[in-house]
Amino acid sequence: MALARITLALFAAGVRGQLQYRMNFVIWAAVGIVFQLTGFFFLWALLARFRSIAGWSLEEIAFLYGLRLLGHALTVFFLGGTQLVDWLVREGAFDRYLVRPVPLLLMVVTWFRPSAVGDLLGGIVLFAAASRVVPLDLSLPAVAYLGLAVLGATLIEGGLRLAIAAMAFRFLQTHGILWFVDTIFNNFGNLPLRIFGSAVELLLTFVLPVAFVAYLPASVLLGRTSELTIQPAIAYAAPLVGVIVFGLAYLLWHHELPRYQSSGH
Amino acid sequence: MTLAGFPAMWQFARMEAQTFLTYRVNLGLQLLGILLQVYLLKVVWTAVYEGRTEVDGIALGTLIAYLTLANLQVWAIYPQTAEVLPPRIQSGAIALDLARPIGLLVQLIWRSVGATLGLVALVVVALPLAAVLGSLRPPASPEAASLYVISLLLGYGITLAIGILLGLVAFWTLETHGITILYHFVNQFFAGALVPLWFFPDWLRTVAELLPFQTQAFLPLSIYFGRLVGTDALRAIGVQVVWLVILWLAAGLVWRAAIHRVVIQGG
Repeated sequence: MALARITLALFAAGVRGQLQYRMNFVIWAAVGIVFQLTGFFFLWALLARFRSIAGWSLEEIAFLYGLRLLGHALTVFFLGGTQLVDWLVREGAFDRYLVRPVPLLLMVVTWFRPSAVGDLLGGIVLFAAASRVVPLDLSLPAVAYLGLAVLGATLIEGGLRLAIAAMAFRFLQTHGILWFVDTIFNNFGNLPLRIFGSAVELLLTFVLPVAFVAYLPASVLLGRTSELTIQPAIAYAAPLVGVIVFGLAYLLWHHELPRYQSSGH
Repeated sequence: MTLAGFPAMWQFARMEAQTFLTYRVNLGLQLLGILLQVYLLKVVWTAVYEGRTEVDGIALGTLIAYLTLANLQVWAIYPQTAEVLPPRIQSGAIALDLARPIGLLVQLIWRSVGATLGLVALVVVALPLAAVLGSLRPPASPEAASLYVISLLLGYGITLAIGILLGLVAFWTLETHGITILYHFVNQFFAGALVPLWFFPDWLRTVAELLPFQTQAFLPLSIYFGRLVGTDALRAIGVQVVWLVILWLAAGLVWRAAIHRVVIQGG
C-alpha cells in the first residue's frame, strides 16, 4: 500500500517536473502523435497508390500498427524513465537514487516523459479505429489473448529498454544502442514481417523479438497464422515471451548494478 | 566576414567536427539505423511493386537509389544548430558565446558546417554498405550532377536557417528537444525520404510543394536522377532560392527578438 502511494507520488512529481517547461510539454505530447502519424502516414501514402503489402490490406496494416503502438505507448508511459539511466550514471546523479529508501527501479522508471501522452493517444486512436474496420473475433478467449498480447508487447519493449539501461553501468553512454533498437522496433515492428523473407523473419523473431510485439499476435487475431514461417503455436505464446524478456532484463539489471561508479564526486 | 576573422571561424568548424566525432560510436550506430531504414524501405517498396519493373515511369532500381540517397542526405544535413544552442542557453554558457568577438549567428553557422562535414565524412565511409543495403546510381548526366550540387548547397543553406530558427526557440522555451524531433519527422516525410512526392496523392503533393521540406531531398534528387531537367530543374532551384531568402529573413527577425530575451541562468 505504502509502495503504491510512493509510486503515485513519484509519478505525480515527474509530471509536475515536466510541467515546469509547459510549452515543451505540449510540444512533446505533439511529438508523440506526429511520430506515430508519420510512420502510419508512410504506409497510408504507400497504400493509397499501391493496394496491399504482401496481401495485407491498409485496414489490416492499421490493426497491426495500432497493436504495436499500444504496446509501445504503454512502455513509454510506465517504463520510459529507463532511457535516462545512462545520463544519470554519467552525471553521477544516480547517487541520489541509491540513498533513498524506495525501490531503485521504481524511481528509475517513474521519470515521466510528456511524449508518452502523445504516444498513448495516438496508440489508442489508431487501435480503436483499426479494430472497427477489420473483421475481429470478439469471443472471450480472443479478447483475453489480445489483452495479454498488449501486456506482452509492453514487457518485451520495456524489458529491452531495461536491459539497455543496465548496460549504462558498464558503457556509460547507451543512447546509440537505444536509438538503434528503437529504430528497429519502430520500423519493423508494424509491418508484416514476411516481406523480408524467412531469414530476417526468423532473426526478428528469435534474435531481437520484434515479431512477438505485434506481427505474431496480429497474425493470430486476423487468422493469418498459416502464412507464418514459424509454428503457429509459437505465435500464440507471444505474451509469454514478454514475461521471459522482462525477467531476463531484470536479472541483467541486478547483475550490472554493482558496477556503478559514481563520477565527478 | 573579414579575412582575419576567417581562421577563427574555421576553428569553430574544426572544433565542432572534433567534438562531434568524439561520439563516433554513437553516430555510427545512428548511421546504421539510417541504413537499416533504407534496407527496410527497399523491402517494402519491392513488395508493393509486386514484380513490376516500373510504376508511373519510375523504375524500381531508380526508386531505391533515390530512397538511399534521400535518407543519407537528410541525415547528413540535419540542422545541427538546433542541438548546439539550447544546452548553452540552459547552462548560461550563452553569455560566453555572446561575449566573443564573433557574432553568435556566425559562430552557429560555422559550428554547423563543422558538424555537417563530420557527418558527411561518415556517410562517405558508409557508402559501400549503403550500396548493399539500398542501392546507388550515378547522376543522370554531367548537367544533372552539377545542378544537383547547386541544389544540395541551397538545401543546406535552408537547413542552416531552419536550424537557427529551431535553436532560437530555446530563448523562449529553454528546452527544445521536442520541437527538433518534431522537425525531424515532418521533414523526413515531406522531404520525400520515405515516399517520393511523385507517389503522393494529389492533395498531399500540393501541401508538400507549399512547404520548404521538399528542398531537403526531393528537389535535389529529382535533378540528380534526371526527373527534372532544363527549365524544370532551374525552376526547382528558383524555389529553393525563394525559401532560402524567406527562411534567412525569418531567422534574422527571430534572432533580433530573441537577443532581447536573454536570461543568463545562474549568472
